[in-house]
Amino acid sequence: MIDYPLLIFRVLVFPGFTFILLFTMFCDWVERKVEARMQNRMGPSFTGPHGILQPIADFIKMLTKEEITPCDSKRNVYKYAPILALSVLVFAMAFLPIDGSSVIPGVSFAGDLIFVMALVSVANFMLFLAGWSSTNPYSAIGAARVMTQFLGYDIPLVLLALVPAFLAKSLTISTIVASQWLPFAILAPWAFVLFIITMQAELEKDPFDVPHAESEVVAGHETEYSGGKLAFLKLARDVQIVFGAALITVLFLGGANGPVPFGFLPELWGTLWFVLKVLVIVVLSEYLTVLFARLRIDQVVRVNWQFILPLTVLSLILTLSLAYWVYPMV
Amino acid sequence: MTNLAMWARLKSPWVIHFNSGACNGCDIEVVALLTPRYDVERFGIKLEPSPRHADVLLVTGSVTKQCADRLKRIYDQMPQPKFVVAIGACACSGGVFQGTYGTLGGVDKVLPVNAYIPGCPPRPEAIIDGVVKLLNALAAPPAPPKASEEEAATEAPAEEVTEVPAETAPDAPEEVKKDAE
Repeated sequence: MIDYPLLIFRVLVFPGFTFILLFTMFCDWVERKVEARMQNRMGPSFTGPHGILQPIADFIKMLTKEEITPCDSKRNVYKYAPILALSVLVFAMAFLPIDGSSVIPGVSFAGDLIFVMALVSVANFMLFLAGWSSTNPYSAIGAARVMTQFLGYDIPLVLLALVPAFLAKSLTISTIVASQWLPFAILAPWAFVLFIITMQAELEKDPFDVPHAESEVVAGHETEYSGGKLAFLKLARDVQIVFGAALITVLFLGGANGPVPFGFLPELWGTLWFVLKVLVIVVLSEYLTVLFARLRIDQVVRVNWQFILPLTVLSLILTLSLAYWVYPMV
Repeated sequence: MTNLAMWARLKSPWVIHFNSGACNGCDIEVVALLTPRYDVERFGIKLEPSPRHADVLLVTGSVTKQCADRLKRIYDQMPQPKFVVAIGACACSGGVFQGTYGTLGGVDKVLPVNAYIPGCPPRPEAIIDGVVKLLNALAAPPAPPKASEEEAATEAPAEEVTEVPAETAPDAPEEVKKDAE
């Protein structure tokens, strides 16, 4: 028997839609603050305490602006691509065990890791469609770059996501989390580092942010968007960043497992550890973003095919060998 | 709801910068706003690359005839509600280029200007003050312009905020349309 009120609460409030959106806004604020402090600035300061409401103010302001649809655009795709990108990413978040179990109880199934990785691809394709349908030269170039980058970096990303799967001998996310009494980041640090680099490329952050390089292609695939559609497009990007950090947390850092088990309120402690780990990854990712300059698009592609992909295959072979011959003996 | 929208609008004015034939002096001062010393992101002000994302158009330079229709087009590409800030003596009135054959002399010949920030170039503090005055003018209920405002303009740094209803954008003068061809 399904407990419907609990189900609705979990999907809509915690740890579902509302929690994910508010957490995304919070992570956006953390990113802007970290970036500002690294550049010796203050960052948002006067919107709420320490500017913590800045992403919410931006979001509401964009919602109240006029929406412009270019007359040559493919209207339906242009209209629904940002919403679909956002909803696909939030749906993918629902499979990650935020408070120890996935958002919808019992939704986890054998092989849902592959399903979640496929949802990431669909979300990226929605971002491509958003740029392509607006028929602006800058949007088209930005969209083509999204696609070029994503086609290259999706292969190492999926291969590296298989490393925890091999270590846990399962493709189920909940099993992967449950088998991490020792985080896989310690068992396979080479895959962890590669996964973070690949995730930077997948999330289009520096040094791989060529799809929306301001000095070359204005705002990339977002160029033509305004008003509410821009709000959802930007929110989808921020949710994507949180999702990437959450995926790293789940696959390599042990998800909601804490270093110290607590007997009471496991959901609360699980959420706390999960949020802390995601924040660590978000801050780390923002550090990399600020530290590195942008690569050119040809350099991005070459880095992928010449370095990341061979290293990925090597790390997969190394992990497999260790997982079958060394780790069982320890 | 309206209060919420107004709060959001005041807390996150995204700007786009357009050079309509400036000597780069004012542009450097605009860029200086983003540096750690002035850091306008404290107030939620972000420099956006695309006019579709922006709320405030910062125009520098006396508008050259080549630039006039481009400036108008950039303005038309911005979504409502939108505001124009003329930065520098050239953008306010044409400056030293006033009356020359190649320029129109002032942004208000082409666009409705919400705030004038004189100076050659204006200091970054003056630009921040001008934008803050523009935002305060938005938050306050619409009032008839007072004659006493001209007295304040004599004090340095001199900023004057002229309120123009953004919704009723007057069309460009006939000569602009003719020259822009």
